[in-house]
Amino acid sequence: MIRLTVNGTVHELDVPSYRTLLDCLRYDLGLTGSKEGCGVGVCGACTVLLDGKMISSCIALAAFADGRSVTTVEGLARDERLHPVQQAFVDAGGFQCGICTPGQIVSAKALLDANPKPSDDEIREWMLGNLCRCTGYYKIIESIRAAAGRSRA
Amino acid sequence: MAHRIVGQPLGKLEGIGKVSGQARYSGDVTLPGLIWGKALRSPLPHARILRIDTSRARALPGVLTVLTAQDLPDILVGRRMFDMPMLARDRVRFVGEKVAVVAAVDPDIAEEALALIDVEYEDLPAVFEAVEAIRDGAPILHENPGAYDGAPSERPHPNVQSVLRFKLGDVEAGFGKADRIFEHTFRTQLDHQGYLEPHAGVVAIDDDGRVQVWASNKMPFRLKELLSHALRLAPEQIRVNLTPIGGDFGGKGSLMDLPLAYHLARVTGRPVKMLMRYAEELMAGNPRHPSVITMRTGVTKDGRILARRVKALFNSGAYAAFKPAPSVNLGGAGMGAGVYRIPNLLIEALCVYSNNIPCGHARSPGEPQMVFAGESHMDMIARELALDPADLRRKNLLRDGDHLANGHHLEHVRASDTLEAALKASHWAEPKPGPWIGRGMAMTHRHIGVGFTNARLRLDSGGTVILSIGLPDTGTGAHLVLRQVVAEVLGLSLDQVEIEVANTDDFETDSGVGGSRVTHTGGRAAYHAAEKLKTQIEAEAAKHGIPAGSLAAIARAAAKDGRTLEAAHFYDAKAHAAVTSFTAQVAEVAVDPVTGEVTVRHFTTAHDVGTIINPIGHQGQIEGGLVQGLGFALMEEMKTEDGRISTLSLGDFKLPTIQDIPPLTTVILQDQVGPGPFNAKAIGEGSISAVAPAVANAVADACDVRILDLPITAEKVFFALREKVAR
Repeated sequence: MIRLTVNGTVHELDVPSYRTLLDCLRYDLGLTGSKEGCGVGVCGACTVLLDGKMISSCIALAAFADGRSVTTVEGLARDERLHPVQQAFVDAGGFQCGICTPGQIVSAKALLDANPKPSDDEIREWMLGNLCRCTGYYKIIESIRAAAGRSRA
Repeated sequence: MAHRIVGQPLGKLEGIGKVSGQARYSGDVTLPGLIWGKALRSPLPHARILRIDTSRARALPGVLTVLTAQDLPDILVGRRMFDMPMLARDRVRFVGEKVAVVAAVDPDIAEEALALIDVEYEDLPAVFEAVEAIRDGAPILHENPGAYDGAPSERPHPNVQSVLRFKLGDVEAGFGKADRIFEHTFRTQLDHQGYLEPHAGVVAIDDDGRVQVWASNKMPFRLKELLSHALRLAPEQIRVNLTPIGGDFGGKGSLMDLPLAYHLARVTGRPVKMLMRYAEELMAGNPRHPSVITMRTGVTKDGRILARRVKALFNSGAYAAFKPAPSVNLGGAGMGAGVYRIPNLLIEALCVYSNNIPCGHARSPGEPQMVFAGESHMDMIARELALDPADLRRKNLLRDGDHLANGHHLEHVRASDTLEAALKASHWAEPKPGPWIGRGMAMTHRHIGVGFTNARLRLDSGGTVILSIGLPDTGTGAHLVLRQVVAEVLGLSLDQVEIEVANTDDFETDSGVGGSRVTHTGGRAAYHAAEKLKTQIEAEAAKHGIPAGSLAAIARAAAKDGRTLEAAHFYDAKAHAAVTSFTAQVAEVAVDPVTGEVTVRHFTTAHDVGTIINPIGHQGQIEGGLVQGLGFALMEEMKTEDGRISTLSLGDFKLPTIQDIPPLTTVILQDQVGPGPFNAKAIGEGSISAVAPAVANAVADACDVRILDLPITAEKVFFALREKVAR
């Protein structure tokens, strides 16, 4: 039995020891926002925050999160209002197919929590672990700039 | 003409669900009683299957069934040529071919069960290189390929899937008149489309016995037809439910695991989900064809092209099943002529069987391969003739009234304008900023796609116009574009038009997403449906004396008469327009003289386009295609060793990251001549193909080293530099 706080809600779950955190979120809790892309911790589509720190949930076991707090993309909007990072991705076209987007947004939120006014170089450094095949990244950088309240470097 | 909504840089309003995690992709679909399917794949490139023992797998608790080819009807599947078994029957032809499939109550148990299946194989001689596969005495992949449904008749060797030819004038006579003849051979790599959503599908047989399908497939109506064929079910027995697709780039048009998911569902009576792992994508997806291309061009001494002969070998792997075109070849082979008027031309492209992963379509199929060869070749010729590569191109560019390799007549040709715009924006004529820095250019063009789309509009009781469409959302922003078109025609604001994604019960047919067609066909279907609805709204308003802008009142008045205002349009474009879209690009690179590493310092991309309906989405297509082109140019390669792919994760098979993108200048030459709504053209495949040759030409300019095979890795440049010093 593990005890997880996910997006502020406490869950007690009986999961097999081999269950990954990603599968636990997706299949045991029905939170399918986090995606499996590469499945080996490279692409970042499964990024969630564990006690506020980014991790690849596809290579973390659910048991590892026992007693800890997980934030997924579903936990960012408040009362139907998008989080400013989410709104910026919509306004600036920071996604296309959307499969990497939950991970991009969780990572960008973590960046802005740690560094509210990142430079372009800092954005590129921080976001290195989130692959995107659709956008070529230009509009992701633009979205994060906008979320940080600045237009261009 | 000024527009209100068309041309507005509207954000990706259709994507609220995508940023909030609420969008449901096919892999997210869940149903009561859902179970999981997983496939066992061949570890050998070519072998006879002697025996399969599934008893230990069946005995594992949680396993519901295990199927092999013996349990399935003997039906071959494909998109145009039907040569691939759903499960290997008596023989495997590539590493990764499916030999058995398991259904279990959870994905981990299904995976565990795979390890308990015993298969006894007997090795067969295998062939991996296309050149070797068409030699006399090569191992034969298929005994009688001509007998397969959809197989082309011309077959110079049993390992040839198809031959595609383009011919203009008399190529031998052209060479006879040439002052100089140049011949070079180029190679391009096996490359995955790189969508981050592996193939996913859910199949359920509902209480009425109908087959319900959710799949990452961009052509749902064609999927229904193909499933009907593969499963021997009447088409009306199948419903494909549309979901967003997590990236396509040409790779999401096949049946993939869906027939197996159906059979598992049939046998177990439970809904079945099958998700490919990314390793399976890299082992058995349907990647871009590797190629060997020889270009031979005859010119006058001042650089006019008189003749060109192109021979292309596309290594298609073990099956032709993934290619959708009637030719069972890659139409992009026609780009062997480039953007040039070549009076005497012969292009011959062969798709060849080998014991490798079967290849399919990838963004601008065949063109990145052919344009890399053609545009590298042009620079090599310019150098031999001591001409500026821009001048050699200027002398030969297509003009109004010219014909493409396929004989297609062109008007309103903007090749020259596009080239000059790219040269200007890239400061081509100015001195380079330092040593080991080079500039390279390349050009291409891409058609505006054709096909057929259904659109239906209705005015709902609240006064909102609902657009129903059977085109899935692959991420291009097409749904927003269609809403903008409808809002523009009807004089509405964007929030008065909503989209309702249809399923395959709602319409007769639709050609789906791909081939740079959606803005054109979907846009025109929506446009004409909106015109029809507008007429109805105006008539209804006049009848009741209501202002034409009061949509809710009009809808209520119609409802009182027992009617709903609705309109539909089926738009079917069979022939390509006489216009195309040109691209000219310039790369500025720095080469590290010690390591050979290539850094793209700046990239300029110029595009000849029509009316832009959504500038954010339009620019997103340019940027995404361009960075995909950079990956093809510099880093992406599925490496194989005797048919085994050794780069089986996204850690080994490297896609560009956010650190790999260069400063970018985009130049847009906008015009009013496209066949799309409001004279739109196409953009989705325009920016990818010329990138690799622009980079290769820049590398040659920087350090006098010519890389003839992609990708242009530091290693290749390093050894080429060393060889140059040794000379």
